Amino acid sequence: MAKAARVSPPDSSTGNLIRDSAMGLVAETIDHYVALTLAIWDKGPLGAADIELARLRSAHHVGCVVCKAVRYDVAVADGLDERQASRIGDDISAGDFSPRQQLILQFVDLYLHSPGLPEKSMQRALDAEFSSEEQAHLALALAYFNSSSRCAVALGGMPDSLPRFEMPVPR
Amino acid sequence: MSNTAGPSSFASATASLPAVAEPFVQLYRAFWTLESIPASTLELCRLRQAQLHGSEVAWQHREVELPSLQREELRHWPQSNHFSDAERACLSLAEVHAMDAQAISDAQANAVKAHYGEVGLVALVQALGVFDTIVRLGLIWAVSSGEVA
Repeated sequence: MAKAARVSPPDSSTGNLIRDSAMGLVAETIDHYVALTLAIWDKGPLGAADIELARLRSAHHVGCVVCKAVRYDVAVADGLDERQASRIGDDISAGDFSPRQQLILQFVDLYLHSPGLPEKSMQRALDAEFSSEEQAHLALALAYFNSSSRCAVALGGMPDSLPRFEMPVPR
Repeated sequence: MSNTAGPSSFASATASLPAVAEPFVQLYRAFWTLESIPASTLELCRLRQAQLHGSEVAWQHREVELPSLQREELRHWPQSNHFSDAERACLSLAEVHAMDAQAISDAQANAVKAHYGEVGLVALVQALGVFDTIVRLGLIWAVSSGEVA
Protein backbone atom coordinates (compact mmCIF):
# COMPACT_ATOMS: atom_id res chain seq x y z
CA MET A 1 0.00 0.00 0.00
CA ALA A 2 1.33 3.45 -0.93
CA LYS A 3 2.68 5.20 2.16
CA ALA A 4 2.91 8.62 0.56
CA ALA A 5 -0.14 10.49 -0.63
CA ARG A 6 -0.32 10.50 -4.42
CA VAL A 7 -2.21 13.79 -4.63
CA SER A 8 -2.49 16.93 -2.54
CA PRO A 9 -5.88 17.94 -1.16
CA PRO A 10 -7.46 21.17 -2.36
CA ASP A 11 -6.52 24.41 -0.69
CA SER A 12 -9.84 24.72 1.09
CA SER A 13 -11.09 24.66 4.64
CA THR A 14 -14.83 24.30 4.36
CA GLY A 15 -14.98 22.10 7.45
CA ASN A 16 -16.54 19.33 5.38
CA LEU A 17 -14.21 16.34 5.47
CA ILE A 18 -15.15 15.21 1.98
CA ARG A 19 -14.82 18.62 0.34
CA ASP A 20 -11.48 19.28 2.03
CA SER A 21 -10.04 15.89 1.08
CA ALA A 22 -8.52 14.97 -2.27
CA MET A 23 -12.04 14.04 -3.36
CA GLY A 24 -12.72 17.77 -3.51
CA LEU A 25 -10.26 18.20 -6.37
CA VAL A 26 -12.84 17.05 -8.90
CA ALA A 27 -15.19 19.99 -9.16
CA GLU A 28 -17.82 18.14 -11.20
CA THR A 29 -18.32 15.31 -8.69
CA ILE A 30 -17.80 16.75 -5.23
CA ASP A 31 -21.33 18.10 -4.74
CA HIS A 32 -22.71 14.72 -5.77
CA TYR A 33 -20.51 12.90 -3.26
CA VAL A 34 -21.69 15.16 -0.46
CA ALA A 35 -25.34 14.79 -1.49
CA LEU A 36 -25.04 11.01 -1.72
CA THR A 37 -23.39 10.79 1.69
CA LEU A 38 -26.27 12.66 3.27
CA ALA A 39 -28.87 10.64 1.39
CA ILE A 40 -27.37 7.36 2.56
CA TRP A 41 -27.33 8.37 6.22
CA ASP A 42 -30.51 10.43 6.30
CA LYS A 43 -32.93 9.23 3.64
CA GLY A 44 -32.97 5.45 3.76
CA PRO A 45 -34.91 3.06 5.98
CA LEU A 46 -31.98 1.14 7.47
CA GLY A 47 -30.69 2.16 10.87
CA ALA A 48 -27.25 3.74 11.10
CA ALA A 49 -25.86 0.78 13.06
CA ASP A 50 -26.85 -1.60 10.27
CA ILE A 51 -25.25 0.66 7.66
CA GLU A 52 -22.11 0.88 9.76
CA LEU A 53 -21.74 -2.88 9.94
CA ALA A 54 -21.86 -3.11 6.15
CA ARG A 55 -19.43 -0.19 5.79
CA LEU A 56 -16.94 -1.69 8.23
CA ARG A 57 -17.06 -5.16 6.65
CA SER A 58 -16.32 -3.58 3.28
CA ALA A 59 -13.57 -1.35 4.70
CA HIS A 60 -11.91 -4.37 6.27
CA HIS A 61 -11.89 -6.19 2.94
CA VAL A 62 -10.54 -3.20 1.00
CA GLY A 63 -7.89 -2.58 3.65
CA CYS A 64 -8.64 1.08 4.20
CA VAL A 65 -7.03 1.85 7.56
CA VAL A 66 -8.89 5.11 8.03
CA CYS A 67 -12.27 3.67 7.06
CA LYS A 68 -11.75 0.80 9.50
CA ALA A 69 -10.90 3.15 12.36
CA VAL A 70 -13.86 5.48 11.84
CA ARG A 71 -17.07 5.05 13.76
CA TYR A 72 -19.81 7.42 12.64
CA ASP A 73 -21.42 8.98 15.66
CA VAL A 74 -24.91 8.34 14.32
CA ALA A 75 -24.15 4.63 14.25
CA VAL A 76 -22.85 4.66 17.81
CA ALA A 77 -25.96 6.54 18.89
CA ASP A 78 -28.04 3.93 17.05
CA GLY A 79 -26.54 1.19 19.21
CA LEU A 80 -23.55 -0.02 17.23
CA ASP A 81 -21.94 -2.74 19.34
CA GLU A 82 -18.20 -2.00 19.46
CA ARG A 83 -17.43 -5.60 20.36
CA GLN A 84 -19.07 -6.65 17.10
CA ALA A 85 -17.49 -3.80 15.17
CA SER A 86 -14.04 -4.82 16.33
CA ARG A 87 -14.60 -8.36 15.04
CA ILE A 88 -16.10 -7.28 11.74
CA GLY A 89 -13.43 -9.06 9.72
CA ASP A 90 -13.98 -12.40 11.44
CA ASP A 91 -16.04 -15.31 10.27
CA ILE A 92 -19.65 -14.22 10.39
CA SER A 93 -20.65 -17.06 12.67
CA ALA A 94 -17.96 -16.10 15.19
CA GLY A 95 -19.06 -12.56 15.87
CA ASP A 96 -22.21 -13.07 17.92
CA PHE A 97 -24.17 -11.33 15.18
CA SER A 98 -27.95 -11.52 15.10
CA PRO A 99 -29.59 -13.29 12.15
CA ARG A 100 -30.41 -9.88 10.64
CA GLN A 101 -26.81 -8.72 11.03
CA GLN A 102 -25.53 -11.98 9.57
CA LEU A 103 -27.66 -11.40 6.49
CA ILE A 104 -26.21 -7.92 6.06
CA LEU A 105 -22.69 -9.31 6.26
CA GLN A 106 -23.53 -12.17 3.90
CA PHE A 107 -24.79 -9.65 1.36
CA VAL A 108 -21.57 -7.65 1.75
CA ASP A 109 -19.52 -10.79 1.19
CA LEU A 110 -21.54 -11.71 -1.87
CA TYR A 111 -20.92 -8.24 -3.29
CA LEU A 112 -17.21 -8.33 -2.51
CA HIS A 113 -16.25 -11.87 -3.34
CA SER A 114 -18.62 -13.35 -5.90
CA PRO A 115 -21.18 -10.86 -7.18
CA GLY A 116 -24.04 -12.76 -8.76
CA LEU A 117 -27.56 -13.87 -8.03
CA PRO A 118 -27.89 -14.81 -4.36
CA GLU A 119 -28.70 -18.42 -3.60
CA LYS A 120 -32.46 -18.86 -3.41
CA SER A 121 -32.28 -19.55 0.31
CA MET A 122 -30.35 -16.35 0.88
CA GLN A 123 -32.77 -14.32 -1.23
CA ARG A 124 -35.70 -15.79 0.68
CA ALA A 125 -34.04 -14.85 3.94
CA LEU A 126 -33.34 -11.32 2.67
CA ASP A 127 -36.94 -10.93 1.53
CA ALA A 128 -38.22 -12.16 4.88
CA GLU A 129 -36.01 -9.84 6.91
CA PHE A 130 -35.73 -6.71 4.76
CA SER A 131 -38.23 -4.70 2.79
CA SER A 132 -37.52 -3.86 -0.81
CA GLU A 133 -36.55 -0.34 0.28
CA GLU A 134 -34.17 -1.71 2.91
CA GLN A 135 -32.49 -4.01 0.39
CA ALA A 136 -32.01 -1.14 -2.04
CA HIS A 137 -30.61 0.97 0.80
CA LEU A 138 -28.17 -1.74 1.82
CA ALA A 139 -26.98 -2.19 -1.76
CA LEU A 140 -26.52 1.52 -2.44
CA ALA A 141 -24.83 2.20 0.90
CA LEU A 142 -22.44 -0.69 0.38
CA ALA A 143 -21.73 0.46 -3.17
CA TYR A 144 -20.97 3.97 -2.01
CA PHE A 145 -18.75 3.02 0.90
CA ASN A 146 -16.89 0.32 -0.99
CA SER A 147 -16.11 2.67 -3.86
CA SER A 148 -15.04 5.39 -1.44
CA SER A 149 -12.73 3.05 0.46
CA ARG A 150 -11.14 1.92 -2.78
CA CYS A 151 -10.65 5.54 -3.76
CA ALA A 152 -8.98 6.36 -0.46
CA VAL A 153 -6.62 3.42 -0.73
CA ALA A 154 -5.79 4.12 -4.37
CA LEU A 155 -4.79 7.71 -3.58
CA GLY A 156 -2.22 6.58 -1.00
CA GLY A 157 -1.15 8.20 2.22
CA MET A 158 -2.66 5.57 4.49
CA PRO A 159 -1.12 5.22 7.96
CA ASP A 160 -0.06 1.74 9.06
CA SER A 161 -2.61 1.84 11.83
CA LEU A 162 -5.03 4.20 13.46
CA PRO A 163 -6.97 3.97 16.72
CA ARG A 164 -10.74 3.89 16.64
CA PHE A 165 -12.24 7.36 16.47
CA GLU A 166 -15.75 8.79 16.20
CA MET A 167 -16.75 11.42 13.72
CA PRO A 168 -19.98 13.04 12.57
CA VAL A 169 -21.39 12.56 9.10
CA PRO A 170 -19.82 15.31 6.94
CA ARG A 171 -22.52 17.90 6.27
CA MET B 1 -36.81 -7.53 -3.99
CA SER B 2 -37.01 -11.09 -5.19
CA ASN B 3 -34.76 -11.24 -8.23
CA THR B 4 -35.38 -14.63 -9.72
CA ALA B 5 -36.55 -12.89 -12.87
CA GLY B 6 -34.23 -9.96 -12.33
CA PRO B 7 -35.04 -6.27 -12.60
CA SER B 8 -34.54 -4.79 -16.02
CA SER B 9 -32.08 -2.13 -14.98
CA PHE B 10 -30.31 -0.31 -12.17
CA ALA B 11 -33.19 2.16 -12.14
CA SER B 12 -35.85 -0.50 -11.67
CA ALA B 13 -33.78 -2.29 -9.02
CA THR B 14 -33.58 0.88 -6.97
CA ALA B 15 -36.97 2.36 -7.84
CA SER B 16 -38.26 1.74 -4.32
CA LEU B 17 -35.73 4.18 -2.89
CA PRO B 18 -35.42 7.20 -5.17
CA ALA B 19 -34.17 9.49 -2.40
CA VAL B 20 -30.91 7.53 -2.31
CA ALA B 21 -30.81 6.15 -5.84
CA GLU B 22 -31.13 9.52 -7.55
CA PRO B 23 -28.01 11.07 -5.96
CA PHE B 24 -26.14 7.91 -6.92
CA VAL B 25 -27.28 8.24 -10.52
CA GLN B 26 -26.37 11.94 -10.53
CA LEU B 27 -22.86 11.03 -9.41
CA TYR B 28 -22.58 8.39 -12.14
CA ARG B 29 -23.73 10.89 -14.77
CA ALA B 30 -21.16 13.46 -13.66
CA PHE B 31 -18.26 11.29 -14.79
CA TRP B 32 -19.18 11.55 -18.45
CA THR B 33 -18.57 15.30 -18.70
CA LEU B 34 -15.35 15.75 -16.78
CA GLU B 35 -12.77 18.29 -17.88
CA SER B 36 -9.89 16.32 -16.41
CA ILE B 37 -10.22 13.02 -18.25
CA PRO B 38 -11.94 12.10 -21.53
CA ALA B 39 -15.21 10.21 -21.40
CA SER B 40 -13.88 7.81 -24.03
CA THR B 41 -11.02 6.83 -21.73
CA LEU B 42 -13.42 6.22 -18.85
CA GLU B 43 -15.60 4.14 -21.17
CA LEU B 44 -12.63 1.95 -22.03
CA CYS B 45 -12.00 1.43 -18.32
CA ARG B 46 -15.67 0.69 -17.63
CA LEU B 47 -15.72 -1.89 -20.40
CA ARG B 48 -12.50 -3.48 -19.16
CA GLN B 49 -14.07 -3.79 -15.71
CA ALA B 50 -17.08 -5.46 -17.33
CA GLN B 51 -14.75 -7.97 -18.97
CA LEU B 52 -12.86 -8.66 -15.76
CA HIS B 53 -16.08 -9.18 -13.79
CA GLY B 54 -17.61 -11.26 -16.56
CA SER B 55 -20.61 -8.99 -16.97
CA GLU B 56 -22.04 -9.42 -20.46
CA VAL B 57 -24.72 -6.81 -19.72
CA ALA B 58 -22.19 -4.14 -18.74
CA TRP B 59 -20.03 -5.08 -21.73
CA GLN B 60 -22.90 -4.72 -24.18
CA HIS B 61 -23.94 -1.36 -22.76
CA ARG B 62 -22.52 1.64 -24.61
CA GLU B 63 -22.18 4.79 -22.56
CA VAL B 64 -19.84 6.40 -25.10
CA GLU B 65 -19.26 5.36 -28.68
CA LEU B 66 -15.75 4.03 -29.23
CA PRO B 67 -13.87 2.98 -32.36
CA SER B 68 -14.90 -0.60 -33.07
CA LEU B 69 -11.30 -1.76 -33.08
CA GLN B 70 -10.85 -0.55 -29.54
CA ARG B 71 -13.81 -2.62 -28.37
CA GLU B 72 -12.59 -5.63 -30.33
CA GLU B 73 -9.06 -5.43 -28.99
CA LEU B 74 -9.76 -4.27 -25.46
CA ARG B 75 -9.17 -7.68 -23.91
CA HIS B 76 -5.68 -7.67 -25.41
CA TRP B 77 -4.94 -3.96 -25.11
CA PRO B 78 -1.30 -4.38 -24.03
CA GLN B 79 -0.52 -5.99 -27.40
CA SER B 80 -2.72 -3.66 -29.47
CA ASN B 81 -1.59 -0.47 -31.18
CA HIS B 82 -5.10 1.03 -31.07
CA PHE B 83 -4.71 2.56 -27.62
CA SER B 84 -2.87 5.76 -26.76
CA ASP B 85 -0.28 5.99 -24.00
CA ALA B 86 -2.79 7.87 -21.85
CA GLU B 87 -5.43 5.17 -22.36
CA ARG B 88 -2.86 2.49 -21.54
CA ALA B 89 -1.96 4.23 -18.30
CA CYS B 90 -5.61 4.31 -17.26
CA LEU B 91 -6.32 0.73 -18.31
CA SER B 92 -3.30 -0.52 -16.41
CA LEU B 93 -4.48 1.15 -13.23
CA ALA B 94 -8.08 0.08 -13.83
CA GLU B 95 -7.13 -3.59 -14.05
CA VAL B 96 -5.36 -3.52 -10.69
CA HIS B 97 -8.12 -1.44 -9.11
CA ALA B 98 -10.65 -4.10 -10.11
CA MET B 99 -8.73 -6.73 -8.16
CA ASP B 100 -7.13 -4.91 -5.23
CA ALA B 101 -6.85 -1.14 -4.90
CA GLN B 102 -4.01 -1.60 -2.42
CA ALA B 103 -1.93 -3.16 -5.18
CA ILE B 104 -1.92 -0.05 -7.38
CA SER B 105 1.72 0.94 -7.73
CA ASP B 106 3.24 4.40 -7.58
CA ALA B 107 4.39 3.88 -11.15
CA GLN B 108 0.83 3.24 -12.30
CA ALA B 109 -0.52 6.25 -10.44
CA ASN B 110 2.31 8.45 -11.73
CA ALA B 111 1.65 7.33 -15.29
CA VAL B 112 -1.94 8.53 -15.04
CA LYS B 113 -0.84 11.81 -13.46
CA ALA B 114 1.67 12.34 -16.27
CA HIS B 115 -1.24 12.52 -18.70
CA TYR B 116 -4.12 13.89 -16.65
CA GLY B 117 -2.58 15.45 -13.55
CA GLU B 118 -3.62 14.94 -9.94
CA VAL B 119 -7.20 15.89 -10.67
CA GLY B 120 -7.31 13.30 -13.42
CA LEU B 121 -5.99 10.59 -11.12
CA VAL B 122 -8.63 11.38 -8.49
CA ALA B 123 -11.34 11.49 -11.14
CA LEU B 124 -10.22 8.16 -12.53
CA VAL B 125 -10.27 6.32 -9.21
CA GLN B 126 -13.60 7.91 -8.33
CA ALA B 127 -15.05 6.74 -11.63
CA LEU B 128 -13.56 3.27 -11.33
CA GLY B 129 -15.12 2.87 -7.90
CA VAL B 130 -18.57 3.88 -9.08
CA PHE B 131 -18.39 1.85 -12.29
CA ASP B 132 -17.28 -1.17 -10.29
CA THR B 133 -20.34 -0.89 -8.06
CA ILE B 134 -22.66 -0.70 -11.05
CA VAL B 135 -21.19 -3.90 -12.47
CA ARG B 136 -21.29 -5.77 -9.16
CA LEU B 137 -24.86 -4.76 -8.32
CA GLY B 138 -25.94 -5.54 -11.85
CA LEU B 139 -24.63 -9.08 -11.45
CA ILE B 140 -26.35 -9.50 -8.08
CA TRP B 141 -29.64 -8.15 -9.41
CA ALA B 142 -29.25 -9.93 -12.76
CA VAL B 143 -30.25 -6.80 -14.62
CA SER B 144 -30.95 -7.20 -18.30
CA SER B 145 -29.80 -3.70 -19.26
CA GLY B 146 -26.63 -1.82 -18.44
CA GLU B 147 -28.50 1.46 -18.52
CA VAL B 148 -27.99 3.31 -15.23
CA ALA B 149 -30.16 6.33 -15.76
